[in-house]
Amino acid sequence: MRYFTKRHGQKEAVPVDIEPAGDNRYKLTYEGRTLLVDALALESGAMSLLVDGTSHNVELEEVGDEVLVQVGGQTSRIDVADERRLRLRAGKAGFTVEGKQLIAAPMPGKVIKVLVKLGDEVKEGQGLVVVEAMKMENELKSPKAGKVVELPAKEGTAVEINAKLVVVE
Amino acid sequence: MGKIRKILVANRGEIAVRVMRTCKELGIATVAVYSEADRSAPHVRMADQAFLVGPPPSRESYLVQERILEVARQSGADAIHPGYGFLSENASFVRACEKAGITFIGPPASAMDAMGEKTRARQNMIKAGVPVVPGSTEPFASHEEARAYAEKIGFPIMLKAAGGGGGKGMRRVERLEEFDSAWRGAKSEALNAFGNDAVYIEKYLEKPHHVEIQVFADTHGTTLHLNERECSAQRRHQKVVEETPSPILSPELRAKMGEVAVQAARAVNYVGAGTVEFLVDVHRNFYFLEMNTRLQVEHPVTEWVTGLDLVAWQIKVAEGGKLPLTQAPAPNGHSIEVRVYAEDPARNFMPSPGRITTLRVPGGPSLRDDSGVFPGYTVPNFYDPMISKLSVWAPTRREAIERAKRALDEYVVKGITTNVRYLHAILSHEEFVGGDYDTSFLPREHTALVGGAEDPQLTEAALLASVVYAYQRDQKRTRNMPQTSSGETGISSWRRALRRGR
Repeated sequence: MRYFTKRHGQKEAVPVDIEPAGDNRYKLTYEGRTLLVDALALESGAMSLLVDGTSHNVELEEVGDEVLVQVGGQTSRIDVADERRLRLRAGKAGFTVEGKQLIAAPMPGKVIKVLVKLGDEVKEGQGLVVVEAMKMENELKSPKAGKVVELPAKEGTAVEINAKLVVVE
Repeated sequence: MGKIRKILVANRGEIAVRVMRTCKELGIATVAVYSEADRSAPHVRMADQAFLVGPPPSRESYLVQERILEVARQSGADAIHPGYGFLSENASFVRACEKAGITFIGPPASAMDAMGEKTRARQNMIKAGVPVVPGSTEPFASHEEARAYAEKIGFPIMLKAAGGGGGKGMRRVERLEEFDSAWRGAKSEALNAFGNDAVYIEKYLEKPHHVEIQVFADTHGTTLHLNERECSAQRRHQKVVEETPSPILSPELRAKMGEVAVQAARAVNYVGAGTVEFLVDVHRNFYFLEMNTRLQVEHPVTEWVTGLDLVAWQIKVAEGGKLPLTQAPAPNGHSIEVRVYAEDPARNFMPSPGRITTLRVPGGPSLRDDSGVFPGYTVPNFYDPMISKLSVWAPTRREAIERAKRALDEYVVKGITTNVRYLHAILSHEEFVGGDYDTSFLPREHTALVGGAEDPQLTEAALLASVVYAYQRDQKRTRNMPQTSSGETGISSWRRALRRGR
């Protein structure tokens, strides 16, 4: 079975093939290399991973489409999708910053300032809204250059986590 | 004064839990107050009694003095412990407690007044002979007068616009020869920017360290200090890592600063636990910064190296008791505390409230976690993002650093983003390990601490684990789908299982 993995912030997806190879064992092939790993899934997203005898305690957690991976004090955010899921996502441009981009509230909070208007042209990295939570203000920026096509965010309103704030196309 | 039987803890989060633990050990009943957002918080369940004080915003709940006092009356609490933050440094609340006949576990209102306002505190310290950062307080009548003052306090100095900030009208002057042109430039810039050309002079502190001294006083004439805590690992004045002993203090400097801190506390007739904060420059001159008239967030490191319970001391002093010591004990070993915040350092420390789905706290020797959360708890977005303090002790600093790093490796929080990895990076950084880090350390090294080089072996392990995880998840979903196959139309998997069983 083939999966495509993309590190957060990177553009290129890396294909990885995985085959079961016995109890808790898997053969993974990527970038011309083949590794036999022993991976024991434990509770709450913990995993004991043995790679050529080296032991890694790995913590995994799904965050939206990505998997947050903590291993050895290092944290990675990896998008993992099989071919079917990738095709389903083609229209949502999951792997590239193209098409409509939804800016959602990253945490529950309050919209304290809306910096754009519906129809505005914005640059990549331009501030769109300011959200306040836990006494701190956070400016959310546009992931791409484009046009504000939806603007449900209203100043002074409370928002839940993942609430739609702005859509840039 | 007299034996306290029941304490209302006017706070939330980890400090409320921490105070209640000492109360339990002393046989004192506890009363919790909580906002609507904090109904499920641990301090509510830990207390003997608990009362709602209002909706989530602090100013409508934890800061409403009348409501706190009403709960104290209703519950029969004879004392209030304020923790830190909220009402802990509010002199009017202390007076309201006195008026209500309730013991406030902290300093008298007069001491809070004397130290609470920065300019007043500075004036009091000057009178008490405590060194303050040399600087002017009135505009200069002339260029010559300003120049003479600069010579008097010594170079380097900072010129600062009285009319505003933002770096305009600000100049660093290294030598007397540079003064005249810098002065003219600063005044001209200040005038253009703020319409006011008044410029102050302040001594420029090179590579300042933030070092604080824990002080304690009772009502029987004893005022002592419990040595220092190093707090230079901070950003935007928010402390992140604290340790004791400070790596930069010599025994002579430590003794001198402790003596001066005691002098400061005596000058305002201080009672209870307080902390005198200093800036220490590259030449190891030290200057009064401010006094915190309350228990400090980072008090655990002092407890580690002294073996004392500072909250128990606070309660004893509030009961009118005598401090069991008359001078500072020699510190034993080294302690480091790291603050775990619900925030994302990689995204400019964006707060991360939300539900904690997994929480695994480290174990092992000489390790302590003061926390106000548990698995399943939703960190609210109305309060400070600190969720716990992890502190460790070891015989030496090097060992304490390794112990803290090992503990952070075991610390697992899921469901929200925390700064655990960032803390690990701080403790691993050569400047921190070297010990001579000043208050510019975290802002200056931000990119290295957040972005850090990645271990390729760990990166590969993460990639492999994520693919196995996705594969296992998908296989599990496939196995749970209803199954049919040609030739067995209409026969469910249950019936097939029954048939096989027969």
